[in-house]
Amino acid sequence: MQIASLKRDGARRFGVVAGVLVLALALVAGACSSSDGESSTDPDAPVTLRVAMGSPGEAQIEVWEATAASFEASNPNVTVEFNFQDDDLYETIGLPNLLNGGDAPDVYFEWAGQRLQDRYDEGFVADITDAVQNGELGTYFEEGAYNGMVIDGKNVMVPANADVTTVMWYNVDIFNDLGISVPTTWDEMIAASEIIKAAGVIPIGIGNKDLWPVGNWTSHILSRAMGEETYDQMLKQEIPMDSPEIVAAMEYVVELQQSGTVNESVNAIDDNEGAELFFQGKAAMHPIGSWLVSWAIESAPDLNFDYFNLPPLEGAGTQDSVIAVSTGFIVNAESSHQDVAIDFLTLFSSPEFTSQMVDAGGTPLATGALDRDDIDPRILSLMEMMQTAGALVAPPDTGYDIEVADALYAAEAEVLGGVSTPEEALATAQAKIGG
Amino acid sequence: MRAHRWFTPYLLVLPAMALFAFAILGPVLATGVFSFYEWDGFGAFTSVGIDNYLRAFSDPVFRASFVHVAIYILLTIVLEVGAGLLLAGMVTSRPRGTGFFRVAFFIPVMLPLVVVAVVWGFVYNPDFGLINGVLEAVGLGTLANVWLGDTRTALISVSIVSGWVFAGFFMAIFYAAINQIPTEIVEAARIDGASEIQTFWRVKVPMIRNVIEIAILLAVTGGFQSFDLFFVLTNGGPYGATEIPTTYLVKVVFRNQNVGYGSAMAMIMTATVLAMGAVYLWVRKRADVDGGTA
Repeated sequence: MQIASLKRDGARRFGVVAGVLVLALALVAGACSSSDGESSTDPDAPVTLRVAMGSPGEAQIEVWEATAASFEASNPNVTVEFNFQDDDLYETIGLPNLLNGGDAPDVYFEWAGQRLQDRYDEGFVADITDAVQNGELGTYFEEGAYNGMVIDGKNVMVPANADVTTVMWYNVDIFNDLGISVPTTWDEMIAASEIIKAAGVIPIGIGNKDLWPVGNWTSHILSRAMGEETYDQMLKQEIPMDSPEIVAAMEYVVELQQSGTVNESVNAIDDNEGAELFFQGKAAMHPIGSWLVSWAIESAPDLNFDYFNLPPLEGAGTQDSVIAVSTGFIVNAESSHQDVAIDFLTLFSSPEFTSQMVDAGGTPLATGALDRDDIDPRILSLMEMMQTAGALVAPPDTGYDIEVADALYAAEAEVLGGVSTPEEALATAQAKIGG
Repeated sequence: MRAHRWFTPYLLVLPAMALFAFAILGPVLATGVFSFYEWDGFGAFTSVGIDNYLRAFSDPVFRASFVHVAIYILLTIVLEVGAGLLLAGMVTSRPRGTGFFRVAFFIPVMLPLVVVAVVWGFVYNPDFGLINGVLEAVGLGTLANVWLGDTRTALISVSIVSGWVFAGFFMAIFYAAINQIPTEIVEAARIDGASEIQTFWRVKVPMIRNVIEIAILLAVTGGFQSFDLFFVLTNGGPYGATEIPTTYLVKVVFRNQNVGYGSAMAMIMTATVLAMGAVYLWVRKRADVDGGTA
């Protein structure tokens, strides 16, 4: 009798505890939920336009805010709300949270290529073809600016910036002192490296702790060696990563390793520390993207530097190809203010704000950016190089599946570090992405 | 005096339970649910059953990450708990004049780990760093190394930083424990002719055995939770030599955007840590029973 009573008490207590937990969870769920009922057919109804992106830096944020102020002045019922997040945060957890949250952005930043395709497949991308083909927006861009931004024949992204992700920056003074000319072939680059090394300077300094700096650079080398089509097939997993042509292409990376061209610390330091080697004159060359210009001007104002593209090598690829990534802004397909979003992006792409963006260190794709004679000549040269390149190669980590890119990057790091042969490293990479 | 209603205690704990549900229970349940799906954080969920768990058990990087963290834990038991014990022995060997050292040893504990990692990143830097610089300055340049870029030294280098930080923390715990030992016991040992070293090893250490066991448990569970030092100093490199479960998990979830697979990894990690805690409690209980019946 007593035992039965105890069991009843126990069951009741368990029920109460479970009930309290369920109630607690319900309270939490209730607290976390939100409602966003802002939608109306009244054209003068208040509209909040939400714009999300990784932080572009103070100078460019000011341009965005100026654009918003101008837009709000012309559209008194519209309030533009920005969400600037840390770059890495935005790219990883930030954007998914925003898009799945209660206050999803109407306009958001993305990279052209695989990421844009993913957002399109998930239903977060509006078709803006009509605005591009028939509206004012289309007048601000050349046709080539939409490369990688058209899916299923539809325009789905407003172009923002184009970045060459790797060229070879070099210290002009070191080159002049050692009597080295800008290399025009791969072999000349290796020969120049020998002279630099003999002078006690690191020929090529780079920090690859996070794998992408060397990954971008050596992937460009691979694309030149095995051809853009094979490169594309490799990263789309249409051919195994340890295919003979890829193993053969990796011999160029072996040559870099065996010639001692790259700093010994390459896989131990990050991209900032790699750049420091270049800024301090400890390394004569530094393979990284177009963003180095504003960075070097600020961090090493006395540095006399210029760039050359990856020199032609003996391979099946287009030997004046450029590795580059385009970025842009997507109008959210789930936004109820798509027309307002397009109008806002149209204003942002106009010569007035494009010009301000150039002043703020940007490299906009809008035509207004080129109507200037005070752009840093190296930036202008990079933009022209992109427009005249025989082929544009997408970096693995923005143009393709990120897991495949990471596997390739790890293989390239191992070969450059001299810890694996191309066969071993690429077989490991293939195993990582599913055998 | 009027009796309370039976549900009054439960109402009183409701706020605490809500907080627990929000901060711990909800995320754990959500992670458990995610682990059975393929989800990139953006689009639709696709049920994959236990595939994520099967993948984790056959993933060589994930398996190696447990080996790395086990080595790290063994090293930290020496460099954190062992060194903390020795420091506590030193600062308690004299009644006065040790305040400065206690504070000095404890200061690293108060620094944010990210700051510590950045500072030590400069110390280990092979091109501009302090260690190689000093080695070269004293004519030992041949010993200079790429400390964080060499698979033979990277994990040890990170563990040394961890020891530098947490030895002071364990010193503080052991210092407090040693000071709880009745003075007459220590005095009796000294009167019997025991040296300071003998007193420490044969009297003080045995008397704080329970605290040492707790410290080791903290080092073990803390080792599994390590992230900041590894993320900043090596990010799992070189060539995966310092990849531990947390750094790999972060890459899988935040870089590869494979939330489902990462959730399965998180559940496995949680189960591992809970299992180790349970084993400790079981061993402790057995030891108590054996000690009681002896």
